[in-house]
Amino acid sequence: MNGIALDSTTVMLLMPIAIIQIILAIVALIDLVRTEETYGPKWMWLLIILFISLFGPILYFTIGRRSY
Amino acid sequence: MKQWITLFKKEQLEMLRNFKWVWLPLVFIILGMTDPLSSYYMPRIIDAVGGMPEGTVIEMPTPQAAEVLLATVSQLNLLGVLIIVLASMGVIAAERKSGLAAMVLVKPIPIINYVTAKWLNVSLIGCVSLFVGYITGWYYTSVLFGTVSFELFLQSYVIFAIWYTFVLTLTIFFSAIFKVAGVAGFITLTIVISLSILTNIMGDYMIWSPAQLGDSVASLIMVGQLGDGFWLSLSVTVLLVVAMLFGATKILENKELE
Repeated sequence: MNGIALDSTTVMLLMPIAIIQIILAIVALIDLVRTEETYGPKWMWLLIILFISLFGPILYFTIGRRSY
Repeated sequence: MKQWITLFKKEQLEMLRNFKWVWLPLVFIILGMTDPLSSYYMPRIIDAVGGMPEGTVIEMPTPQAAEVLLATVSQLNLLGVLIIVLASMGVIAAERKSGLAAMVLVKPIPIINYVTAKWLNVSLIGCVSLFVGYITGWYYTSVLFGTVSFELFLQSYVIFAIWYTFVLTLTIFFSAIFKVAGVAGFITLTIVISLSILTNIMGDYMIWSPAQLGDSVASLIMVGQLGDGFWLSLSVTVLLVVAMLFGATKILENKELE
């Protein structure tokens, strides 16, 4: 069920958030691939980045990386 | 000076490599957008998910532009500070733990250069991220609710940025004391939060407190003038920043960097 009708203004207003979230997830994934080790297993971070929107990448960058 | 610039560049490079210059501004942009957007859509969100009985009419006054901008400020003050502290708590601690600091400081570098190069870098990324987030909030507020003058925005930003610099200096200070980044971050956040709470409940005694800067941002937006203790709290903040930088240097000098 779609609670809020998606008129074009809404789409225009919310589009930036979606784009930024996607960029964040991609950057986090690139970093995850390049980094040698993380706190906790890598596959766990993969799931977190992919399935928790916005907070997944933030969590990874703040507490997942072993080097700062 | 040349040496200092080299250290500064090294920090810059590191922050580019670990994507801090990408993700911090992006996260702040989202933080800046949330409040104007959620205030704007609140009536429709309540309509859609509120489970109100048929025919309920809720009159919601449209919030003033200044109120929405103030909500953005408190969002940046809460989540923004949390994120920026978590992102920079390891700036010295992790480097000491991994032995990198020892490798850098084996060379005849004055520790004050090492500390200030880090400090300027962290402050720079903090203030730029804050600016990006705050201006996004201001822009969305202006588009959706009505104008808040750009001049007012800039003035409040400058004060806000000084508060951020203070928080980040605190982070660096504790990062120099503790070897574990998490401990440094935790203590910084505890101090920042208790300072804000104490300033709120005992405003008369805490007129010097750096947290008054946050109140000045609020009163600048709402009434257009600075809070009472602004100049006092500004001087105390600047003094504390300088003192903490020297303190961090002294502490690092007296520690063996194994």
